[in-house]
Amino acid sequence: MRILVIEDDTNLNRQIKDAVTEGGYAVDVAFDGEEGHYLGDTEPYDAVVLDIGLPQMDGLSVLEEWRRAGKSMPVLLLTARDRWSDKVQGIDAGADDYLAKPFHMEELLARLRALVRRAAGHASNEITAGPVRLDVKAGKVTVDGQAIKLTSHELRLLSYLMHHKGKVVSRTELTEHLYDQDFDRDSNTIEVFVGRLRKKLPEEVIHTVRGLGYQILEE
Amino acid sequence: MRKGSIAFSLFWLSAGWLILALAGTAFLLTDLYSRALDTSLANQLRFNIDTLSSATLDSTDPNFDDVGVQDPRFTRAATGWYWVIRDEAEQILATSRSAVGMLMPQLSGAFDADNYRTGILEDESGNSLRALERKTTSNGRPLHIMVTGNLGESLALVGQFRGQTLTVLGAVGVALAIMSGIVARLALRPIGRLGRAIEQVREGESQSITGTYPSEVAPLAEEINELLRSNTQIIERARNAVGNLAHGLKTPLAVLRNEASAAKDNPLARVVGSESEKMTQLVTTYLDRARLAARSGVVGKKADATMIMLRLVRVMEKLNKHVTIAFKRPDASLPWFRGDEGDLEEMAGNLLDNACKWSKGKIAVTMMAERTSSSQAFLLIRIEDDGPGLTEEEAQKVLRRGVRLDEKTPGSGLGLDIVKELVDVYGGSLQLRQSVLGGVLAELKLPAAKVGGLTRS
Repeated sequence: MRILVIEDDTNLNRQIKDAVTEGGYAVDVAFDGEEGHYLGDTEPYDAVVLDIGLPQMDGLSVLEEWRRAGKSMPVLLLTARDRWSDKVQGIDAGADDYLAKPFHMEELLARLRALVRRAAGHASNEITAGPVRLDVKAGKVTVDGQAIKLTSHELRLLSYLMHHKGKVVSRTELTEHLYDQDFDRDSNTIEVFVGRLRKKLPEEVIHTVRGLGYQILEE
Repeated sequence: MRKGSIAFSLFWLSAGWLILALAGTAFLLTDLYSRALDTSLANQLRFNIDTLSSATLDSTDPNFDDVGVQDPRFTRAATGWYWVIRDEAEQILATSRSAVGMLMPQLSGAFDADNYRTGILEDESGNSLRALERKTTSNGRPLHIMVTGNLGESLALVGQFRGQTLTVLGAVGVALAIMSGIVARLALRPIGRLGRAIEQVREGESQSITGTYPSEVAPLAEEINELLRSNTQIIERARNAVGNLAHGLKTPLAVLRNEASAAKDNPLARVVGSESEKMTQLVTTYLDRARLAARSGVVGKKADATMIMLRLVRVMEKLNKHVTIAFKRPDASLPWFRGDEGDLEEMAGNLLDNACKWSKGKIAVTMMAERTSSSQAFLLIRIEDDGPGLTEEEAQKVLRRGVRLDEKTPGSGLGLDIVKELVDVYGGSLQLRQSVLGGVLAELKLPAAKVGGLTRS
């Protein structure tokens, strides 16, 4: 899962980035509207945290531009203006959720998780595939009720596949959604991580679809 | 016309002047008329003296028994019309037939340069007499010829004239008074219209004073419009300033709070954390109060409540995928909300947000109009949920009167503080009851603008 954070306050930007990374997501950041708009326009994100008050181009304009161009990733708006008219304006511009400053990081993470989950069509914080159960909120994985230990990269990989259960996910897609933009895309790490993950999970959970990618089957 | 009104003062001022002017006119006219009568009487008397005087010249009788005038008034007794010829020693030589047997009074005083003297006498029958006497010589004999006329007749004529004058002028006065009353009312009508236009602005039916006014009142209407405009601008600026301040303060506060909560073991971080928490609350509280203060001065605004509720329902359904909001769109006759659009959004939005927070999946929104006996129209907005609900006690506690923002810790649960403040500003009410859906029924009662079906009747 790859998240874009657009916030002009450098401290807040760093805090959000740290918290979201901690929550198990790959994070890209932007500090002004134009940069943020460009990133959202060219890179595939699973969700965006967007501040309304931005230099160069304000948050609502960025959002409207994206929606006009057909970008449908979930967007969480951050704003100091918590009047209902501002909320209505934000939602009408195409936002999926709204968070008023100052906020608790836990709340931001919870809303972000809900947005990503909802975008993938899951109703609860727990996603299961056969014996495997993923607790999105806690970032814990159990197999037949037994907790298993995963590295953060393995967890991200499993989480993305579980979120897109039933769908064939290509290696390119995985690279794009699991790592931030600075990651070296030419390496074969995806295959390495899939191999490690398979060893920790029951067989046949992650299928290889030859020439296309990987898939976790829908029950 | 009440005392203390312009029409009242105008009426009495003009009426006072009218009474004075008309009374003066009546006095002047009567005086002129009586002078004219007096002059005419004096001329008659002089003519008769001249006649008698020339008759004495022709007389052969030493006692002037053959002297007389043609006028029959001098022949009948006690008419007030007499003539007397006396000698130098005031001994009567001859009198008119009318004066036979009467003791004729005498004039006193000196003769003027033309040898005349005049005065007012009274005869034995009580007639008031105008007397004219001439000193002359007839064939070498000095004579005093006096002729009198009845003054009472003139006085009666004057009295009659005075009565007629007063009647006519009185009628004129009454007509003028009625006219001045009508004029005062007509002249003041634009002021009444202006008053109604201002009331419409206060009622939220119009944004400014419209219509054409006479040049005396037009500047006043223009000034009031200017005042309304500048008032709106000031409020707008205040709101913008508050919004900017909010944005400016909240981001650094968020940073401080997050930074502090990331390092919980550090004592400095704990202090920063708790203090920034307090600052956040203060900022929230005072920004809300500043916004309320800016709001309470808003006049002449109205908002389409149906459109606002449609918008809020759309937004809340997008934000809360797990709930369905049943909203039956009211018909177009529903009156509008008398107040600011943003304020209604704030009240209904917060209530709807609460409902979504507690709901298990179903929310119902209904709107209707209510008219009280005092002919004021209200707008009712009911928001119901199927959540756990509130007990009577809890509802009372939440709604406790007089609990203001500054006395209460913000964010203490239902976020109703701002709703209550706004409801108070608009003179409405908020009730929390048990809903048939199982949860809370929140009922907002707000003043309706004087447009839309119900209030038109």
